[in-house]
This record gives sequence, structure tokens and C-alpha cells, in this order.
Amino acid sequence: MTAAEPILRVRGVAKRYGPVEALRSVDLAVARGEIHALVGANGAGKSTLVRILAGVVRPDAGEVEVAGRPVRFRSPAHARASGLAPVFQDPAFAPDLTVADNLRLTATDPGAFRRRLSGLGLDGIELREPAGSLPLPLLRMLDLARVLAHDPALLLLDEITAALPADYAERVFEAIRDARGEGRSVLFISHRLLEVQEVCDRVTVLRDGRNVDTLTIADGAEGSAGTLAERSERRIVAAMLGERAALAVSEPRRVAPPPRAEPGEPALELRGVSDGGRVRDVSLTLAKGEVLGITGLEGQGQDELFAILAGDRRASGGEIVVDGGRLVARHPYEAIRNGLVLVPSDRWQALLPQRSVRENLAVAQYNAPGRWGWINAERERRQVAGAIARLSIDTRAQAQAKRLSGGNQQKVAIGRWLVGGFTTLLCFDPTRGIDVGTKHQIYDLFRELAAAGKSVLMFTSELREVPLACDRVLVLYDGRIVAGLQAAEADEATLLSAAHGLADTLTESR
Amino acid sequence: MSVVEAATRPLSPAVGLFARRHAWTGAVVAFFAVLLAWNASQTRNFGAFEIQTMLASTLALAYLAMAQSVVVIGGGIDLSVGALLVLANCLTARFMEGTGFGGSVLVAAGCLAVTALLGALTGLVISVSRIPDIIVTLATSFVWGGAALFVLRTPGGGTSPTFQTLVLGSGNAWWPALLCLLGPLLLVWAPLRRSRRGIAIYALGSSSDAAFLSGVDPLRTKVVAYAFSGLLCGLAGTATTAFTGGGSPQSTIAMTATLNSVAAIVLGGVALSGGIGGLVGPVFAVWCLYLIPNIMLGLGVDPSYGEVVKGVVVVLVVLVGGLLRARRSRTG
Repeated sequence: MTAAEPILRVRGVAKRYGPVEALRSVDLAVARGEIHALVGANGAGKSTLVRILAGVVRPDAGEVEVAGRPVRFRSPAHARASGLAPVFQDPAFAPDLTVADNLRLTATDPGAFRRRLSGLGLDGIELREPAGSLPLPLLRMLDLARVLAHDPALLLLDEITAALPADYAERVFEAIRDARGEGRSVLFISHRLLEVQEVCDRVTVLRDGRNVDTLTIADGAEGSAGTLAERSERRIVAAMLGERAALAVSEPRRVAPPPRAEPGEPALELRGVSDGGRVRDVSLTLAKGEVLGITGLEGQGQDELFAILAGDRRASGGEIVVDGGRLVARHPYEAIRNGLVLVPSDRWQALLPQRSVRENLAVAQYNAPGRWGWINAERERRQVAGAIARLSIDTRAQAQAKRLSGGNQQKVAIGRWLVGGFTTLLCFDPTRGIDVGTKHQIYDLFRELAAAGKSVLMFTSELREVPLACDRVLVLYDGRIVAGLQAAEADEATLLSAAHGLADTLTESR
Repeated sequence: MSVVEAATRPLSPAVGLFARRHAWTGAVVAFFAVLLAWNASQTRNFGAFEIQTMLASTLALAYLAMAQSVVVIGGGIDLSVGALLVLANCLTARFMEGTGFGGSVLVAAGCLAVTALLGALTGLVISVSRIPDIIVTLATSFVWGGAALFVLRTPGGGTSPTFQTLVLGSGNAWWPALLCLLGPLLLVWAPLRRSRRGIAIYALGSSSDAAFLSGVDPLRTKVVAYAFSGLLCGLAGTATTAFTGGGSPQSTIAMTATLNSVAAIVLGGVALSGGIGGLVGPVFAVWCLYLIPNIMLGLGVDPSYGEVVKGVVVVLVVLVGGLLRARRSRTG
């Protein structure tokens, strides 16, 4: 064992969840005393890799070596005993136990824990409080202090700075640098390229379950213009996008959004909407006949924003104006009555899996039955048949919605509102996990709806579908809208930079 | 004044924390005190005899509520506690019949070993098969109930009178029953509660993910919780034998006992979602549920209404407690 021996070496690690290949083959080496970043778009496999290294899941193939010795982790405790200590986005504290009891669970020395806490600038924490009563950012700091108290050889930090206040994040960076000073290594996973460049020595980029590039920040990419930071940033973004960027250009644009002379009247207006946490001062206007896209990385407040609009969550500030009138929806029912309808990202949230396609399509209409509360079977049959024809839903498996393919399920979830009626369709990642053909059908439908004077607000994590489906696009970062672009100008690299909160993009667009 | 200040200041946060953590148990104890005072005011010469009666007749259900608590705190639920009580009752009643005091104690010890083992087995099956607790324990409740019929086909059996007196006390001697109740609390639960293994039970019920990431072995923890629960069921069965002087394999006894144990833990501050509660609150809840029909009787009301009132009290207490908890978590 020499000093040059990397503390962690990963070779050909693969993991599959059912039909989904989360990791195809990853090679990675983290040197001693190195802060190594792991970056990649949503679904690139970062979290799966960390879960493998933390002993939470076992890989299907490949080898993991710690300090030159091959290991197969049986449990998180085993991984920790080998010197690998993770801090996840959700802190590993049992909420009903006191912090002190949680420390006993991991056999953490309270003295060492206290010292690490003061190292993070946190003193006077009451350890006898139940962990669940502490705010999440603080709990994450406690988790970091606990992990550090065990003197790990390698820290695994999975999105530790997501939704962390800036001062805490700064202390985390200091702690990481101190750990490096003590000869420890850090595997740092983050969506924020700025902090990656600031803190890390080397970066490995994952794409579609493979490592596609590793670069040393201090070197940047040779032979291109701009400052060091700009060069390495360009190279990272290019590696994250890969051939998909080229594909988006080469694929014929089947749907060309017709140029819009003048936007119609506003169908939906948000003025400074916030929820006191994840959503901060969001203002936007959605015109009648417009398809507006919103994009952003995971956890930037999009779930909360859509929940507020759908009446499933209360805003703490700002106002929502629908058709010129202020709307305070206490319940999804009220939002629906005002024409705001949601197609959630998780189709099982919307569908009744055991019921037939027809019932699934008609269920929104049961809100407004005919006279005496009777359901007009004839009208229902007609409208359902209309929706099925319009969306070309494959009805071979119509007895139970759960037997439909993913694409057809999504069509049913949207078709429900064609039957039920709406003015603004809120769609959250409408094409997640859907084949290309169906995707284009859904884009076509959005265009048709817009042409008929309806409005569509869609969140998408797939940047390349923005120019295919939308008129305009807004970028959400840390609960705020940080950029707004015409869809025609919104190329993937610009959107990705904005979504990562990169400074130059923000200033340009503001 | 400065002395008082100096004495109370460093203490008060700790006292506050203690009060908050044990607020529910405190409330149940207070509720019990009110009911006891009420009942005492109804009875002429209320004294040691009435206390002995209460402790002796609730001993089995108190053990059973503790058994249910351990499992529910660990994130499960045990529908077989009543059936295991009946099995233990039949085992002890059959084999204690005709023995002296020593023989009865030996039989009791053997029975406890059996029920603890059956509990451990239940925990093992749940952990390994990953079938939900409620289904596994529903199934085992039929198995234990059937086994009880093999042990004792009809009500019968017996026990040593000395053993009965020693477990339950008699006349004015109320303390033997209380000692029997405190025994497992002090000898098993108190050390367990403070050990890593005991904390693991709470952690598993609170958040199985966090527990797993913290290095808790879910299988071992489940087995420990169910084994302790089985031990307590064995104690409950033995207490029943001592109280009734025999055994009865009727399945209705098992069902009623199981449902009462759930009512007691809910009233006693154990959250059905796991991770919250203790064993003392449920014991006081059992006593409260015993006193309510007695008080109704004292008021000259048909005792059948007592059951109705019991049910209403459980719902009301849980409703109010839940609202208070929700408000506290919102403000603090």
C-alpha cells in the first residue's frame, strides 16, 4: 500500500432496477487527500453510485476497492467500518429519537461530535431534542458532523448543499477543505457547477450510467479561449450533454411552433408567489393560446410551485390571478373549478389503476353531474370516445388502466381533462419515460390546445423538448425564476448553464 | 431569590424537555388519578382491598398492553398477543395442576421461555419474508389459538394456591401484583430502553431508512422486540392462570384481549405509526379502562354503557392528543 494508491477505486460497476439500467459501467478513482466531484444530468446514475458506495444497495457487476483491497459492502454499517461515510440529502436521523439517541445508534463519540460541530460553527445545540423537531438544513449539518466524528477516510456527500442556506454551504466547504488537510478524501456530488469548480480538485462526469470524462479543474480544457473557469465549465457541460446535443440539432423538428404575432390575454398570472421555503417570489404570465415551459434541476421548487397552482398547497405570499380574478384555492377542487388542472409527474397519482380507461377519462366529469345528480351515460360515452379518438389511445387493454403502456397512461391522464374541461393545463414532466413517437403526439396535442385558445404550463426536466413543445421557457433555480427565453433561442447549453445557476447566464437574462 | 434562580436556571430546560417528552404519559397518569379519586368517592371505605382487586384483575391486560407497545414502537403491530396469552394460560393451567409452589414457578418459567421463543420466531418470519406484521401475526394468532386447544381441550386445569397468592396478593396485600408488574419493567425494559438495541427498536419504528443507514440490523431488532413481546404475553397468560385458577382455550378471550391491548396503547401514548411512546403510559391506560365501567356501575348506570364510554374516551383522547401534538410541531 503506497501513498499513490487511490483510497477508492471503482471498476465497471453496474446496477439495474428492473428494466432500468441505472448504471451501465462506471470506473472511478479517488486519490487520497482529494476532493473529487461527481456531476451529471438527472438520471445519469450519481445517486445509484453513492448508494452502492454507502452499502445501501449492492451492485450487479463490477468491483469496488478501498485502499487497494476489494470489498463487497453488506450494509451501511459495513461501509462505514471500511472508512466510507455518506451524508445524504435526507439526513439519516430517526425523527422521533433525540439527537443524543441517534448518536448512540451509530456509536458516535459525543465529545468528537461536539468538536466537529464547533468546527462547523455550530455551538450550543441541544442534543436532547427529538431530531425531527430540528430544521432540515441544521439536521444535515449534524449529519455531517456525525460522519466527521468517525474520522472517515472518504466522505460521500450527496447533494449536501441542495436547499442549504448560503452560510451553511460556506461552512460545509470549509469543513471539506479541512478534511482534505487532514488527508481525507471527499466524493462531492452536486448540481451546482460553480461550487464544484470552487471546491473540487477533479471532476468526473457521468452520463447515462457511464463515466464519460474526468478533468482536473486546475488544468481546465486546453486549447480553447476564455478563463480557466469558463473553459472547464464548457467542457463539463459538453460532457454532461454528450451526443444528445448533436441529436437535438439533427432530429427534424416535426412541430414548429408557429410564430406568435401577439400573445393573447393572460389566462394565468403569478405575482410574487412564495411558500415561505422552496418557492420564492415567482412571477409569471401565461397567455391564452400559449405553451409555457418551466425547467430546472431537481428540487428547485418546481414540485411545490405546481402543487400551489393545483390547489394542493397553500402559498404564503403573493397572488395567483386567473382570468382577471384572484384565486385562493384551498383544495384541488377549487383550482379545477377555476380551470386549473394538473397532470402530475407520477401517473399513479392521477390514475385509478384498477379501473377502466373509460372511468379514468370520465372521472373528472363526475364533479358536474347532470340534474338530480345523475350521470349522463350517453354524454359520457360520447366524450370519452372523442378523447380516445383525439389522443389515439390504444384501447386494447382498456379494462384496467394499469395494463396500459406508459405512454397510453399519460394520454389517459391528459385526456381526462379534455373530457372534464379546463382553461390551463398544468403538466409536470409529461413525457417522462415515454417513447419518442408518443412524445411527439403529446407535443402535437399541446400545440392544438394552444391553437384552440387553451394555455399549457409544463415543467420539463428534458431540455431538448423545450423548443419542440413550448413558445417560451422559464428557468427555475433555488425557488426563483432566473431566466426567461423564447423557445427558439433556448438551446440546451444555455438552459443547462442557467439551470445550474451559473452567474454569467443569470446576469445576461435578467 | 438568587439561590432559587441559581438552582432552577440550569435545571429548567432539562425539566422542560422531560415534561415535553413525557407529556402524554403525564396526562394519562393525571386522568387515572382523577378516575381513581372519583371511584374512591363512590365506594365506602375505599382502600387496599379495592387496589388489590384492580391490580390483580388488570395484571394480565397490563402485561399484554406492554407486549403490544414494544412491537408497535418498533413499527409493527401484533394481532397475536391475545392468542399467545391464551396459549400461555392453557400451558400453565395444564401443567401447574396438582403441583406445589415450586412446581408452578418452574412451569411458569418454562412457559415464558416458550412464548419468548414463539415471539422471536414471529419476528424472524416477518423480517425474512417481508410480509407485513399485521398479516403474519394474524396468521400466527390462529396457530397459537389452535395450539391452545391441543394443550387444553376444555376449560380446566389448575395452579398452586400459594403461587396465586404470591403473584396477585390477596385481601389487603396489593403490592405483590404491583411487584410482578414492575419486575419486567425494571429488569428487562429499563436496561433495554437505555441500550443500543433498545434505541434501535425506536429508530426502526421512527424511520426504517434512517435506522438502516445508521447501522441498525432490522432483523435482529425485530426479533428482539417480538421476543420481549412474547415474554410479556407469557407473563400475561401466567397471570390469567393465577387470577382464574385455571385455563380456557376460548378464541373470543384472545380477540377481546388483543383489541383491548390496542386500545390501551393508543390511549397510553404509543403512536401506531411507530417510534413514539413507552410502556408505562399503556399500563396506566389499562387501569383507566378498568375504572371507567366501575365508575359507571357506581353511578347506577347499566354497565353495558361502560363499554360505550370506554370507546368514546379512546377516540376523544386520541383526537385531542393528536391535535395538541400537531399544534406543537407547527409552533416549535
